[in-house]
Amino acid sequence: MPEIVRQFSHGRELADAAERLRAQALARELSPAQVIEILERWGESLRGTEVDAIPGVPFLKIWLRRGTLESMVVRELGEEGLRGSWREEGAARLRAFPLGLVGHWPAGNIEIQPLLSMSCALLGGNACLVRVPSGLIRETGLLIDKLAQVPGGNLLLERIGVASYEHERTDLQFAMAESVDGAMIWGGAEAVKEIRSLPFPDWARVAVFGPRLSVAAMDGESWSRDSIARDDWCRRLARDVWQFDQQACSSPQMLFLERSAVGDIAEFARRLTEAFEEEQELHPRRTIHAAQTSAICLARATWLLDDATRRAVFPATPDWTLLFGTGATMPTPTQGRTLSVLLVDDLLEPIARFDGMVQTLGLAIGNRAKEAALAEAAGRKGVDRIVPLGRMHVFGSPWDGTDLIRPMVRMVRHVAANRD
Amino acid sequence: MIASAEQLEEQIEALLTAPTFSLEPSEHAQRLLALLQRELAHAAARNPRLREYFNAWPIDYRAATTIADLPYLPVGAFKANPPLTLVAPEQIIHTLSSSATTGQTPSRVALDTPTSRRMVKGVVSIASDFIGAKRRPYLVIDTPETLAGLGDLGARAAAIQGLRAFATEMVCCLRGATGAEPEVDEPQLLDVAARWRDSEVLVYGFTYVIWQHFVVPLRERGVRLAMRNVRILHSGGWKRLQAQAVTPAAFAAGVGQVFGCDPARVLDFYGMVENVGVIYPDCEQGNKHVPAFAAVIVRDPLTLRPVEEGQQGLVQVCSALPTSFPGFLVLTDDIAQVVHYDGCRCGRRGIAFRFVRRVPQAEMRGCGNIETTRQRPPAVLSVHA
Repeated sequence: MPEIVRQFSHGRELADAAERLRAQALARELSPAQVIEILERWGESLRGTEVDAIPGVPFLKIWLRRGTLESMVVRELGEEGLRGSWREEGAARLRAFPLGLVGHWPAGNIEIQPLLSMSCALLGGNACLVRVPSGLIRETGLLIDKLAQVPGGNLLLERIGVASYEHERTDLQFAMAESVDGAMIWGGAEAVKEIRSLPFPDWARVAVFGPRLSVAAMDGESWSRDSIARDDWCRRLARDVWQFDQQACSSPQMLFLERSAVGDIAEFARRLTEAFEEEQELHPRRTIHAAQTSAICLARATWLLDDATRRAVFPATPDWTLLFGTGATMPTPTQGRTLSVLLVDDLLEPIARFDGMVQTLGLAIGNRAKEAALAEAAGRKGVDRIVPLGRMHVFGSPWDGTDLIRPMVRMVRHVAANRD
Repeated sequence: MIASAEQLEEQIEALLTAPTFSLEPSEHAQRLLALLQRELAHAAARNPRLREYFNAWPIDYRAATTIADLPYLPVGAFKANPPLTLVAPEQIIHTLSSSATTGQTPSRVALDTPTSRRMVKGVVSIASDFIGAKRRPYLVIDTPETLAGLGDLGARAAAIQGLRAFATEMVCCLRGATGAEPEVDEPQLLDVAARWRDSEVLVYGFTYVIWQHFVVPLRERGVRLAMRNVRILHSGGWKRLQAQAVTPAAFAAGVGQVFGCDPARVLDFYGMVENVGVIYPDCEQGNKHVPAFAAVIVRDPLTLRPVEEGQQGLVQVCSALPTSFPGFLVLTDDIAQVVHYDGCRCGRRGIAFRFVRRVPQAEMRGCGNIETTRQRPPAVLSVHA
């Protein structure tokens, strides 16, 4: 186990570690600008064979750039917030202060998520206690080790604790929850439900990201442009499906395709198949959970056995699956690179059926006005991000319709006494 | 060309009557492949949805050169309601249901007379190889009510009926209405124990029923049956007993104690309703084998290709027996290890394997793993774009 990751077996130990981290954060104030300086150096240091092999590292490097982080801080906290100073607001002044200690419960499927989550709370001046899922211990350790090697890295390291314990240890989950002043929770339905119910202090701020699902949509104009554009859209869609093995909340689980877009579905199926084959060639799967393989096989069979008009394309391996059908209803997601492609007469039909579960709508729309209209409709139907296909996973603020830094700071208002 | 029902029957019968466990593996594979291809063609001609599924399969089953290339159905596909069938409704004489745990949907398979008849022949053929073909008294550790269903049979009833061909006389030694906790019918049990004391007796029950409703209460009451010639077969899996930390060895010892027999006379077998007519008892080496009319393929979850000897993977069961439902090639949710592809010291030819566990529930997946949706019909919505 990497040195930075500490195995806990008693709640008392966790509570003590939490107290030390909070004290560190309160003892030495770090402005967002200072934190950005260190994070940028950390991002630049993320190289080497082992680190490069961690999925998502190229994105993490971009995320940790000054340009990315500064604009996020300015948008959420204002120019003064970047420097950690007060800003005037009428007769009062406002300033962001850290909550103290922020607990992070990242999802088990995204290698860089512990770092992304942590960076948001650090920018708010907080200390961080991260409960790292067992499958991500090695990767998290490798990435945080790099922080120790950059100038100023220790300033952040002294306010970061990485905890490992079995997720069944409810006593430790309780101890961690009771020790924090804020929580950033990421993950699937089961995990989120479980963590949300922990006994956080009454004053703790809890930000939940996920569970959500995402959807792609393509209209006739974007498809009918030319052959190069068609292939490009298919490649972008394949890339969005492949990243995070389609387990992220921003992963497209289905594509709604305007019927007029394709005429004959065969050509679309052929091009999308080629794009999926290319992506598989570039990014073959290294491991799979047997339950996921079972789910993929079941999805292939039930799709075709439920309705004789449906079609499907898949290889003999569980590598990817394309399920073709019609209708505006969202099928149950299978994940594991299984994309349902559904023909609809009008893209507004499926959007009208969205509930609050859809996080991202990835669009391939040829006409700007139509895209704006779809974005408007999707926004009103609970969608938090509307982006072009190929950019569905680009992490940024707001995420899930929520700011990333602001929920973990307190906006303190000072109204000075009138001494005139 | 699609084989007629009569031709298929003849070819299935040829494999059913072939030496159960001694066909040379390549001959076995060739004969079974050819028959399964005909059965798939037969199924495709009767069910357009299956035909579409076979058409989507990356390898044309008609051109396949190994059984592993043929299109298989995942076991979950048998949870469909109405069940997947290949015959007209009036030809169905029984619908078998799996023993799903609470809250789960059971699998359901439809049996016509020929499939039902083959199911019994298949079980008899396999079981005979392990316990001998002789007919004998049959003690069922279950209630008569379990067998009472007319059209719909549960997995327990199907297994009990499957072994009935060995019986000269059958007695159920538990009592209790359906849904109620069964209890030992002690007078009945003691009566047959006295009558059959020196006979070779076949005993069958579901694993957890034997333990929970027979062994545990009888041990508590200090009842010993002194039936040293019994052969006890049990099936149904270990899930419920694992929760009570009962190991297979402790189970066999407990059963042996109550019957007063050697624990080695307790034989665990694996079977599933989707694979009717095929049971997988442990041989004396602790391995499971497949008969001439069936096959088992253990597939690597990453590639779905058959694994090497010694490796584990998802179990696919294959059977030539069913013609009333598409249970020829079924990918299960079980994990097994291939011990040998041939050469088990017990002398049975072909694959020797061991079940390892059910596929564990996926660990908590990512933030895209949702459990609830609230999709509404568009009629109640108004979207102005």
